Amino acid sequence: MTPDPGGVEDLLRELAPQVLGALVRRYGQFHLCEDASQEALLAAALRWPADGLPENPRGWLITVASRRLADQVRSEASRRNREDLIAFATPQSELLAAPPDAEPVGSDDSLALLFGCCHPELSSPSQIALTLRAIGGLSTAQIAAAFGVPEATMAQRISRAKQTIKASGLALGPAPGEEQAERLRAVLQVLYLIFNEGYTATDGDELTVPALSREAIRLTRWLHRLTPRDGEVSGLLALMLLIDARRTARTRPDGSLIPLAEQDRAAWDQAQIAEGIELITATLPGGEVGPYQLQAAIAAVHDEAKTMADTDWPQILSLYDLLELAAPNPFTALNRAVAVAMVRGPAAGLEILAALAADKRMARHHRLLATRAHLRELSGDTESAAADYLEAARRSTSAPERRYLAEQSARLKPRGT
Amino acid sequence: MKYLMLIYGNQEKWASIPAEEWPAAIAKQDAFNKKYQATGELIGAYGLADDSQAKLVRRENGLPAVTDGPYQETKEYIASFYLLDCESEERALQIAADMPWADQEPVEFWPIMHEAKLDL
Repeated sequence: MTPDPGGVEDLLRELAPQVLGALVRRYGQFHLCEDASQEALLAAALRWPADGLPENPRGWLITVASRRLADQVRSEASRRNREDLIAFATPQSELLAAPPDAEPVGSDDSLALLFGCCHPELSSPSQIALTLRAIGGLSTAQIAAAFGVPEATMAQRISRAKQTIKASGLALGPAPGEEQAERLRAVLQVLYLIFNEGYTATDGDELTVPALSREAIRLTRWLHRLTPRDGEVSGLLALMLLIDARRTARTRPDGSLIPLAEQDRAAWDQAQIAEGIELITATLPGGEVGPYQLQAAIAAVHDEAKTMADTDWPQILSLYDLLELAAPNPFTALNRAVAVAMVRGPAAGLEILAALAADKRMARHHRLLATRAHLRELSGDTESAAADYLEAARRSTSAPERRYLAEQSARLKPRGT
Repeated sequence: MKYLMLIYGNQEKWASIPAEEWPAAIAKQDAFNKKYQATGELIGAYGLADDSQAKLVRRENGLPAVTDGPYQETKEYIASFYLLDCESEERALQIAADMPWADQEPVEFWPIMHEAKLDL
């Protein structure tokens, strides 16, 4: 039987963290295991589509990766004369045995691995790159393409991150209870950043430029399976599903942006919305409600509205009130100002923006200017609104967003001026 | 986020540097490049040829028409440019300030537009 290449690709990416996790647990030495595991995945990607799947794909990968690791260590050891570094402490039978369903698929290994990739000592781009490679099973070339940097640059970044892990002697075992919760927050932050990255401007060839939002959903889904009782993991997954459901309605064929108010809601992915709503509805009563759950709840209210006018703004406002208490930040405050304007009128929203603009950096931020433009337009002050849109366009570094903001400004400008 | 750093200068300025100081100067810039290539933040560093090598190109009847120029109105022109990809603007500014001669001459710093579609 010859499996189709797409199926092999999916299977390999599913197995990637399990293989690496098993290797790291047995041998330690994350940086060496990571190389060996990538080599095994590459060998499988070349052989399986032609030869068919081995009986136990996971065992096959672990065996091949272990051999590569042993080769590596041996060549290093002969140089340094340290032959006892790793070697064959593990009996071959242990590597070859067990069909895939015989043990609970090494979930603890993979989870520990994910925590390691999101270690607080790593910079955020390093955490993201390492997570996509070690957990997501993406190649360095794919990650580089997704972030629009040369492969050599991404390779340096990953190798640097691995060096940091090596130098810090990072333990990949389960973190102590208190730290565990904090580390899980870091993991969620990384997954959310991957989701938001969206540097892939077009839905290009999936194999060369993977859609990061879809990859983030896949990884969060996987994390949710491993930690089904964590409310914030469920909340993040629901949030991603509910936002991603609008993806096709959000841009025109030419790539320009369509704001929420003008989107064709019939094009929203109803199955994905239903899944997200079911998940957040089941999660919210569970106990402490964190920021991801609240953002998911807000997204759910938007997704449930048949039209912009049908939107339950009072409910959105009360959710933003809770979100501001749970996780105060200037961008939450901006969104809350819009909700306030929708409930109590634009003047009330503009008052909040005036208070936010007291912070000089915030006052010049394109998001604040764009929000103020929107509220000024609602209040009938089109001239100031046009000026705000134009200034927001100048200060945005996102090309589609700049085009959108410039169009809004032009729309409001009286002809002939 | 990606950023462009520009360094300006002119022949007169470089000619004023004694030849024996060149190796040390080049080594300084090399060290900077290596340091930030290793972190994966410096995508590329490029020095431009002298402005006597620069040309103006137009298309005329479908063919390239090449003329001399540009004739600079400013005394200094771009000598080199550096492409950064950093976690934040704050970090990129830090790297710009770490350029070998940033204590004597400013580094021109431009954010680069990207195609990310933000949620509206």
